[in-house]
Amino acid sequence: MARIEIESDVTGTVWKIEVEEGASVTEGQTLIILESMKMEIPVLASDDGKVAEIMVDEEEPVSEGQVVVVLDA
Amino acid sequence: MAFDELYDEFARREAKALAMGGVERLERRRNAGLLNARERIDYLVDSGTWVESGLFATSHIEADRDSTPGDGKITGYGAIDGREAVIVSNDFTVKGASSSVVNMRRIGQMRRTASERGIPMVFLGESSGARIPDNMGAYNMGTILGGDATQYRRLREQPWASAILGMAYGSATWYGCLSDFNVMRKGAVMAVSSERLVSMAIGEKVDGQDLGGWRMHTDTTGLVDLAVDTDEEALDAIKTFLSYLPENQKQLPPEKPVPAGSDDAARTVLDVLPEKRTQVYDVRKIIERIADKDSVFELKARFGRTATTALARLGGQTIGFIANNPMFKAGALDADGCDKSCSFMVLCDSFNIPVIFLVDNPGFVIGIDAERQRAPGKIMNFMNALQLMTVPKLTVMIRKNYGQAYINMGGGKNAAEVAAWPTAEVSFMDPAYAVNVVHGKPGERLEDTDPDFFERKFAEFQLESSVYDIAASYGVQHVIKPEDTRDWLIRMLQVHRNRLSGGLSQHLLSNWPTTF
Repeated sequence: MARIEIESDVTGTVWKIEVEEGASVTEGQTLIILESMKMEIPVLASDDGKVAEIMVDEEEPVSEGQVVVVLDA
Repeated sequence: MAFDELYDEFARREAKALAMGGVERLERRRNAGLLNARERIDYLVDSGTWVESGLFATSHIEADRDSTPGDGKITGYGAIDGREAVIVSNDFTVKGASSSVVNMRRIGQMRRTASERGIPMVFLGESSGARIPDNMGAYNMGTILGGDATQYRRLREQPWASAILGMAYGSATWYGCLSDFNVMRKGAVMAVSSERLVSMAIGEKVDGQDLGGWRMHTDTTGLVDLAVDTDEEALDAIKTFLSYLPENQKQLPPEKPVPAGSDDAARTVLDVLPEKRTQVYDVRKIIERIADKDSVFELKARFGRTATTALARLGGQTIGFIANNPMFKAGALDADGCDKSCSFMVLCDSFNIPVIFLVDNPGFVIGIDAERQRAPGKIMNFMNALQLMTVPKLTVMIRKNYGQAYINMGGGKNAAEVAAWPTAEVSFMDPAYAVNVVHGKPGERLEDTDPDFFERKFAEFQLESSVYDIAASYGVQHVIKPEDTRDWLIRMLQVHRNRLSGGLSQHLLSNWPTTF
């Protein structure tokens, strides 16, 4: 079991959190939707696994490279 | 009988060579679920076609002769799906497949044959580096290493494919990085030198996966095109990759039958596009629908994801897709996306594969990070590659297309023919930004301070960037309905075939770097 840190690849604002801690997710699934560059940009699961931790709240600003979700995979 | 002894000796020596590093070592591999060097060859080549070159080779060191069957690197010729291939399979059970005088000669012979006869090359890699003590000392350095001025020369006369299937340091890593396709089995390591040596050198314990595992190479370095779970999947990936390519630069890629149902899927392509321009989608779903059914083979899927690069077939013909993927950074090309696109253009130009651009991007990623990653240099590398690339180029503008990125993504005269969907919007800058640049003040956004004014100006700027404006100036030659994209591309590939050169490109990119 590896701890996988999912980073935002853009600077923006958290718009919607689409999963809950403990949820099982599959690779490519949308975890969070950010608002950036006037677009709705998804943060995707890089692996199949479980959501261990959600590091941000809705409407919170995030910067590029910031860890937003941690997966156990 | 007169010759019995000779035949006995032949049989004895042959058995010894085929036994590799001995029962115990082979058993350990089997228990770990790994194929050995010869099983990998058997899996890869068509039955009955394998001929080994150097079956009776051993170390040049007298004392090692008995313990070095094949000298750690098995080389020879076999057919893959009916076409000849030159193969180097590293045998880790013999001296860790370390590089030696004799096995470097085996590889040299393979490279020469591949180049001179126009045959694809396959490297099945795991190696511990230069053999010690053979290479130790100045005298041996002077006689062994660097003795071949073409050892690492890559002109891409023929395709090279590599699989990293174990601990790869030195030789296996070098050839992996020189190859056009590099697949890695998860759990393998590809690095300059071993975790043990690195740990000694820097005085702290280093983990092999951190040093050169699949995540690092598929996400961060892009040195690996694809990671898979097993040896067999890696070998299958090599077969798949080669199936798109010609045997060498002087040939056209092989054509395959068009699977039934390909045209039906293409009719549904518009289903992928969200109605709102602020929403994203995965361009890979569009590629899947446009291409011949089940023909899409994506390269570097986890690296530089703002661009999608994929080999595929259209009407049975091999083509390459370079597409913005709005799913990542809204499709704005970043430094990694540029590098990945360049590496893919080099592949396509070298092997006569037409390139199709699918465009939906708000421009290049800008900002301090982007500049630190040498964005201007990357953007110009991309442009230079694009304009040196002499395979047929076609462009389809799907949605947003702004600024310099418009030119990079096959805009203007940078493609033989350009089409746009009615959903396309083309301008120098996204109208939302342009309104602020022209009418706003630094530090504030008109969307917030004067939304009515913003909406009015936005509509005005957007109107001027409609597809019929660029069609009116003949900046695009075609406006097409999304569901007709596949037919249009197949037809344009017929029109723009390089007839005067027999379909071959000028290969101006074929000596470009093997990694970016």
